[in-house]
Amino acid sequence: MGSTSDSFAPAMSSNSEAVNATSGPIASMGASFLGIAETVGGMAMLFGRIVKRLASFSCDGPELWRNLHRMGVKSLPIVIVTALFTGAIMVIQASPIVERYGAQQLVGWAAGFGTLREIGPLLTALMISGRVGANNTAELGTMVVTEQVDALRALAIDPIEFLIAPRFIGIVVTLSLTTIYADALALVGAAYTGEILLGVEPTTFYHGLTGGLLGIGDVLHGLIKSVFFGVLMAVSSCYFGLTVRGGAPGVGRAVNATVVASAAGIFVLDYFISFLLG
Amino acid sequence: MSQDAALTSPERPSPSTQRVAALGALAIELARAGRDLYGVFVRTLFYTVRGRYERGAVLRQMYLMGNQSLFFLTVVMGFIGMILVLQGGLQAERIVPDPTLIGSTYLELLIRDLAASIGALMLATRVGAGIAAEIGSMVVTEQVDALRMCAADPIDYLIKPRFIASVVMTTVLIIWSATIATLTGMGTAYLFFEISPNIFFDLRLVDFGDLSVGLVKCLAYGAAIPIVSGYCGLSTYGGSEGVGWATTRAVVNSSLAVIMLNFFISGAAFLLIGA
Repeated sequence: MGSTSDSFAPAMSSNSEAVNATSGPIASMGASFLGIAETVGGMAMLFGRIVKRLASFSCDGPELWRNLHRMGVKSLPIVIVTALFTGAIMVIQASPIVERYGAQQLVGWAAGFGTLREIGPLLTALMISGRVGANNTAELGTMVVTEQVDALRALAIDPIEFLIAPRFIGIVVTLSLTTIYADALALVGAAYTGEILLGVEPTTFYHGLTGGLLGIGDVLHGLIKSVFFGVLMAVSSCYFGLTVRGGAPGVGRAVNATVVASAAGIFVLDYFISFLLG
Repeated sequence: MSQDAALTSPERPSPSTQRVAALGALAIELARAGRDLYGVFVRTLFYTVRGRYERGAVLRQMYLMGNQSLFFLTVVMGFIGMILVLQGGLQAERIVPDPTLIGSTYLELLIRDLAASIGALMLATRVGAGIAAEIGSMVVTEQVDALRMCAADPIDYLIKPRFIASVVMTTVLIIWSATIATLTGMGTAYLFFEISPNIFFDLRLVDFGDLSVGLVKCLAYGAAIPIVSGYCGLSTYGGSEGVGWATTRAVVNSSLAVIMLNFFISGAAFLLIGA
């Protein structure tokens, strides 16, 4: 035992030196795996702390209202543009299939199911992630770099309670509300594109939408997704914001990491939620 | 702009005038941004043809954009393929008795639109944020001013290599992501709906028009992402907060650019080629 542990220690150190010197493909794979594990672990711990604050209702009220306004109201123009264009694109893409099968009655159903279940929540989440998540990371990162967060700690103010918890609630609420809004607007965009391109009357579209094939379940399916996306986006943007290091370039890198992590996470979560909800 | 109006008029304007002024300010802002963006685009094209040649600059950007986005794009597009086939199949089962048509319809949609558009949205976040963060940091640390002092146009030095690299790598990455999405979709169809891969992989509905529309989209997105985010990076001001703002704007604006280009290209293709 003694000899193995003796030989193990130098082997380890020489190994790590060799890794530093050559950094082969396996070493870099291991390093990126460790990096991912560290990020996920850090996010889980941050999430745990946020939940602990929320469970005891310690969340700064005025900061919450300010964030809701800044995140929700200020994102509306982007959401409106994205939703209208997305609805239009969906009908343009579906139109060859519709004309091939002569299924004009089904346009409303197809656009409705696509929008409510997938495209509405997904695209809204991606745009809000770019607008709100990235902005949130940039703001928190700037606070960290300029030592404002340390100043809060020095004044015995809990940064999680004062900064993070309001942002967490703000992002989750913003995303679920804007998803409802985007669903409706995308359907409007789809209805009028259908009328222009395919000659499907908006009333026919509406009948296809409410004809019994779609129900409140489809709307809830999308909304449940958006709540999960919101939680993921909030935790990742706060985590990357709080762990910024190295001045202005560090803030840029953190924002980049946030949008990448949110986007990848959104699609992975989307699959599993779609699978579980059926 | 609203402040200017308030300064010139002797009394305080009424709320409705202020609202109109705010709207006008927004329109002027948009028009100015559009003009600047157009200027960056034209200058990038000019330097692409007649700029100076720096060895390895384009290759380095290609590596940064291509290899570093590969894993991210593979994960996302793999899940996209599974989601689309799962949701599409579940709905198709309710309407169509024969679910084997999923494969050909899915492949047609993937090649004509989804691979390019979703892949480009992902690249807009990954590559666009990277470009804006990098150039924004250079602006804030006055490296771009140093370039200008040396009579070197930052567009030639910084944006042109990223532009060329992005046009090439977006196309390559999107072809790769279409392959991945096809494979995971095939697997999902086999596992959930018992459609065998050779029935699923049915290219009957994919014609030359679909393929060319998909490729045109790749080129358009590949050109738009570095221009929009490079412009956002170059217009950074302030310190680390400014870099954060620039990166945010780059992500939002390049995603919007992808969605709008998708709308116009899809619409034009529908009107030109037809169903």
